[in-house]
Amino acid sequence: MPTFTDMTRCDGCGECVDICPSDIMHIDPVYRRSYNIEPNFCWECYSCVKACPHHAIDVRGYADFAPLGHKVRVLREPEKGAVSWKIRYRDGRVKEFVFPMRTTPWGSIKAAQDYPPPDPSALNSQLLSHEPEALHIPALPTIQGA
Amino acid sequence: MFSHNPFAALSEVLPAIVMQGYVLLMAVAVVIGTLYDVQHKGSAEYFGRRRKRAEAEAKRRLSGGERFLLVLATIAEAAVSGEFCKWPRRITHLLKMYGFLLYVISTVVMVFGYPAGTQTPAVLPALWSLGALMILAGGLWFFFFQRVNVAFDGASPLHLGRADLFIGSLLASAFFALLWQHAQSAGAGAVLVWTLFGLYLFFTTLLFVTVPWSKFAHMFFKPAVAYQRKVEEASGSSDLPRPSAESFIVRS
Repeated sequence: MPTFTDMTRCDGCGECVDICPSDIMHIDPVYRRSYNIEPNFCWECYSCVKACPHHAIDVRGYADFAPLGHKVRVLREPEKGAVSWKIRYRDGRVKEFVFPMRTTPWGSIKAAQDYPPPDPSALNSQLLSHEPEALHIPALPTIQGA
Repeated sequence: MFSHNPFAALSEVLPAIVMQGYVLLMAVAVVIGTLYDVQHKGSAEYFGRRRKRAEAEAKRRLSGGERFLLVLATIAEAAVSGEFCKWPRRITHLLKMYGFLLYVISTVVMVFGYPAGTQTPAVLPALWSLGALMILAGGLWFFFFQRVNVAFDGASPLHLGRADLFIGSLLASAFFALLWQHAQSAGAGAVLVWTLFGLYLFFTTLLFVTVPWSKFAHMFFKPAVAYQRKVEEASGSSDLPRPSAESFIVRS
């Protein structure tokens, strides 16, 4: 079920090219819009569908069951930390699901090098770097009575 | 330099009617080119199919007033390039869009409103120059740093392809227009002035007659697509999920 791009909606921002794990979303040299260069290699991970700010990318069903009318659409809302799915089944039923993606604001995760280097004595601790404060808890849970 | 009307000096050699005829020819080329572009790419047919399907799936009919408000919202969005999510692309697009409008409108006003022998208000050539400078500022920033094949697809910043026909001819037109104006106002030799005018004329003609093969028509069909998207959202026929009612961001 390879992805395809609605050329009238795509504005050629390159988000899908950046995120595609298979590196098969590329830029058309004539229209400078994105397109799937190798549909057979697309594993429908939906990364580009979710990343596209204009919802210009959709996933095409295989020819044997696409005429039955199913559809899967997704809406990513980073400002709410939510991703929503709308599933239209072949019998016409429509279901919607909302899932949390994260609990902290988009772009707030710090890279390892942004933290101060740990004290060398921390090598003797069983705690990982910046635990437990980075987990926003006072202490890691322990097994009572152990 | 910027208060000098380059078309006034040109009218001593070329009759005003010839210049006006050229402007009209270019306008006709844009209309024909745009119609051919949406027809031969099949985008008009695809767009029409999508519109019919959206109408069939609409949960409610929109009134004339609601549609009018959506038209206003679309115009407001297009006026600030609201569809762009990243501010650098938005800034370059706004510079190019308003620069192009200033450049074209001031050209039309100078050619039709102030033909040979009439004194042009200084503000008109200044607006023409400002438009060309805005095109160059936004266009060069876009060309070298923001073209998606350069920024994301590994192409060289100097790479030229068919997708660059619009931005390339627009930049060249504005660039040679400014050089031509400067050469005239500085009293340069006739050969240099006519060479620069020839280059300006070539790239300007290229910009308008290559509409079927360039990205020129996007300035017309993009607002139409944006309006259709708004209609689908308002009438309940959008195939996208409803926005989440809940925010899951609980800590900073």
